[in-house]
Amino acid sequence: METLFNIVVFPGMFYVLAWTVLLFWFFRKFMAALHKRVGPSFNGPAGSYQTLFDLSKLLTKESITPDGVNPYLFSIMPLLAVIVATLPTAFIPWTPDVYVIPTQYGVLALVVLIGIEPFLLFLTGFGSNNKYSFLGGIRILTQMISMETAFFLAALSPALLFGTMSLGEIVEQSSWLSFLILFPGFILYFIALLGLLEQPPFNIPDAEQEIVYGFYTEYSGTNYFLLKLAEFAEFMAVFAGAATLFLGAYKGIFFDGYIFFFLKMLLIAIVMMTIRASTPRITMKQMLNFSWSYLVPLSLLNMAWVLMAKHFILGVGL
Amino acid sequence: MQDLRKALSAHEILSVEVYKTMWLKVRIDSHDLLAVAQTLKDEGFIAISTVSPTDFLEEDRMEMNYFFENYTTKRNCWLKCDIPRDIEACEIDSITPMFPGANWHEREAYSMFGVRFRGHPDLRPIIVSQDFYDKTPFRKDFDWDAHEANTVENIQQIVDAFKEEQEINEEHLDASSSEMILNWGPTHPASGPIRLKVHCDGEDIISIDPDIGFVWRALEHLVTKKDFVGAIVAVERLCFMDNINSMVGYCQAVEEIADVEITEFAKWMRVLLGEVSRISSHAMGMGGFYNAMGLHTVGMWNMDIREYFLDFLESYSGARIATAAIEPGGVRYGLQMNMLDELQKALDKFDATKDDIKTIFVNNPTMKVRAAKKGIITAKEVESFALCGVVARSSGVKIDVRIDEPYAAYAQVKMDYVVQKEGSAKDRLSTLFGELEQSIDIIKQAKRHIEAEIENGNFNPTKDHMVKVPKKLPKGEAISRVEWSRGEVLMHLVTDDKAKSPYRLKMKAPSFNHTMMLNKMLQGETLSDIPLIFGSLYICQGDLDR
Amino acid sequence: MLRLFDFFAHAKSESVWMAHFCTGCCSLEMAAAMGPRYDWERYGYLPTPTPRQADVLIITGLVTKKILPALLRTYAQMPEPKYVLALGACAFDGGPYNDSLAVIKNPTEILPADAFVAGCPPRPEAIVAGLEEIKKKMKSGEPSAASQGGLWKEMEF
Repeated sequence: METLFNIVVFPGMFYVLAWTVLLFWFFRKFMAALHKRVGPSFNGPAGSYQTLFDLSKLLTKESITPDGVNPYLFSIMPLLAVIVATLPTAFIPWTPDVYVIPTQYGVLALVVLIGIEPFLLFLTGFGSNNKYSFLGGIRILTQMISMETAFFLAALSPALLFGTMSLGEIVEQSSWLSFLILFPGFILYFIALLGLLEQPPFNIPDAEQEIVYGFYTEYSGTNYFLLKLAEFAEFMAVFAGAATLFLGAYKGIFFDGYIFFFLKMLLIAIVMMTIRASTPRITMKQMLNFSWSYLVPLSLLNMAWVLMAKHFILGVGL
Repeated sequence: MQDLRKALSAHEILSVEVYKTMWLKVRIDSHDLLAVAQTLKDEGFIAISTVSPTDFLEEDRMEMNYFFENYTTKRNCWLKCDIPRDIEACEIDSITPMFPGANWHEREAYSMFGVRFRGHPDLRPIIVSQDFYDKTPFRKDFDWDAHEANTVENIQQIVDAFKEEQEINEEHLDASSSEMILNWGPTHPASGPIRLKVHCDGEDIISIDPDIGFVWRALEHLVTKKDFVGAIVAVERLCFMDNINSMVGYCQAVEEIADVEITEFAKWMRVLLGEVSRISSHAMGMGGFYNAMGLHTVGMWNMDIREYFLDFLESYSGARIATAAIEPGGVRYGLQMNMLDELQKALDKFDATKDDIKTIFVNNPTMKVRAAKKGIITAKEVESFALCGVVARSSGVKIDVRIDEPYAAYAQVKMDYVVQKEGSAKDRLSTLFGELEQSIDIIKQAKRHIEAEIENGNFNPTKDHMVKVPKKLPKGEAISRVEWSRGEVLMHLVTDDKAKSPYRLKMKAPSFNHTMMLNKMLQGETLSDIPLIFGSLYICQGDLDR
Repeated sequence: MLRLFDFFAHAKSESVWMAHFCTGCCSLEMAAAMGPRYDWERYGYLPTPTPRQADVLIITGLVTKKILPALLRTYAQMPEPKYVLALGACAFDGGPYNDSLAVIKNPTEILPADAFVAGCPPRPEAIVAGLEEIKKKMKSGEPSAASQGGLWKEMEF
């Protein structure tokens, strides 16, 4: 019974759907405020039904499969992308009680599942038989290779500090002091997150002005809905990863609870959106250059810093 | 000017006269064209503004007009020569090898009038769609009605040509490499109605061939069907972003032929309205620059400011954009003082937002990383390709028609060239913002002046705005230049005797020259740079195609 | 089951996305309608980068002969159900370019529009009102005009 609840409601399908609808709405509303606009407004309180309508509409629209594509590759990939993007929710300790798979290798599972996602998106671009989609696919692959190295290294720093791969234990052990020690790691994680989620200034794979919509270009209707769902589930996985690894997940100021987890994820989303509203896109070459000459070396340095801090500040033997 | 006269006297000159103090109007024989052009080039007349044929059906001749400009001395030369009108013999030497800026202008003359240019490197039709190929639509004896009768077949012709081109595209490519041809536009989020045929190898661009003419409305032909006042409807649709200044250019040409001097008040109103219009265009230009890099915030903020300036235009003329506010003889409406309150609101709005935009967007570090080294145009290229306006000034070339050849009341306005040094995409953004501030300053000056003169009783804002211009104009010819928001617009107006409508109006619009640069600038760059460079060149498809 | 179906129909009519395609000057006022003062996103309109995800194709003003095939191709690429909104005088009868022969004077005879917006260019409020017309048409379940007829069906593009 509990497993069923976990799969269907929290933190399973319903939760991911609700998150998608709400985050999509929040993104649009927040972005509108930064644009000096209002954003969705007339459908429901503060326009909050708008994204529900948008996503429901996509379900009932015609799903075009263009001529000359491999229909299986074209239609299965969005579904796979959603499944893979949703899986990390099972490994994350949402509250002290809801922790579906309390495995010893939580960090590894999170990192691997997040890491596979761009490859699936590459295949969607590859299967679209469109020059722009293909370019988008190639771009996402390039970006994945360079950004994920830094992402993995940054995500591993808490595991190194606490000496465990279990997300539950990392949360248990985290404190204000550990947050300070991990702060450089958090910054690196955040920058790599922008690259991984294709947010400005690294929104290169789906750069509208350059390659139309990247790998999304040929998708419509239900398939596009699935890809959007995967995108937002991916947002959730990465935000939740940041909250769990660095910010102490559900730990609060006076009491513990999911609300703090949610607020931490929201905080990351707000910072991400503010960057989005004020930073133009850079090019592929600049991204590669930035990633390999600065981000990756810094993440390596960060690991050294974490080890040193563990030894000298926490006083744990190496 | 004397030097030029002396230099030209080596050639056989049919007539020569000084025109409007800045211009030397020279008529030569068409065989001497290349030699005279060489002399002009040696004298520093490197930029060619445009090539404009005029078709005189009754006199059975085609008159070629060349407008050469010297960016250093600001003196210009207007070269005229006759060639036979007969389609077989309608030939002249091409000056493109000498003046690369003439390239597309000669192609345009070829597609519109059938003038063939000997020695032109790439004489293909431009702007016109496939159904007009080899048909010379702007000649006076072209039968438009007969052409229109079979619209469906004409469209079929365009479709067939497109499909054929797509098939040929793939054939010539190296199958073992990643070469391909991308159609960048017209259904593209950043392109607008233009198609760039991008020949690229993966992300690297090998060459670009712009395909233009998607909004070709044949404006230059349209005006000949309207009377002199009605023509402003066509002229202002050159590009809606800044329509006032193009109307000013046309009206000045009409007033010159009619020999009418407009009132001082109307001159100041032209300055005021023109600058408001320039602001509304520059605000969108800055937005377009950032939209090309995927950042819409500055576009939105500028749109917010722009609305207030459009409010002023609306209170003045009743329309937000299609104002039709400038007419031969002055400005269309009188001024009521509460309209200026509307303007004051807009100025306050700009002053309140200006600092934010400057700190966040004009000095944006990521933008500098992205754009500081891209799309560089040297001062030399500016001259040889006759670039103008924002693009030219960003490369450090000091040209601005408002200062060089002051029109309306610009002679009394205090202003200076807004220039940058390097001519990169980033510099063009800085120039745009600099000019935005400059326009605000000019508006403030004009507003103060108008208010003071009304106070003194020198201006009567409800009566002074118009002087009468006769409906029928004498035979004549005039050119007028204005500094449009994108650069110099040159209007060449020809009228017949007792004419009710223009005989020929050539509009030289700046985007045409700027688009010509795309291939040169984008070769060897990557796909990511297309929107950036395209956006920074501040191109409007409206005046590109006309 | 009936209620659920209703919900999807309502969702469809309340979420109108536009293909990003501009054929003429009216796109300038479309940009203003997206801007802070008129902000059409309040009503749920959203421009999409590709026609594959769009519900409404906007003919923004004049249609020249050269751009017509691209316009029809864009329309064909959109998923059903799809609607067409014609902006401005040009899309109705050629407007100020009526005398110019490079411009198609009756583009809506080729691609019939579901709603017309008057003006040259129409004001942003009018554009929003025109889109509301399309919403009404969607709500009433009427099929779009272009699916009923029009020259575009006989043309090759």
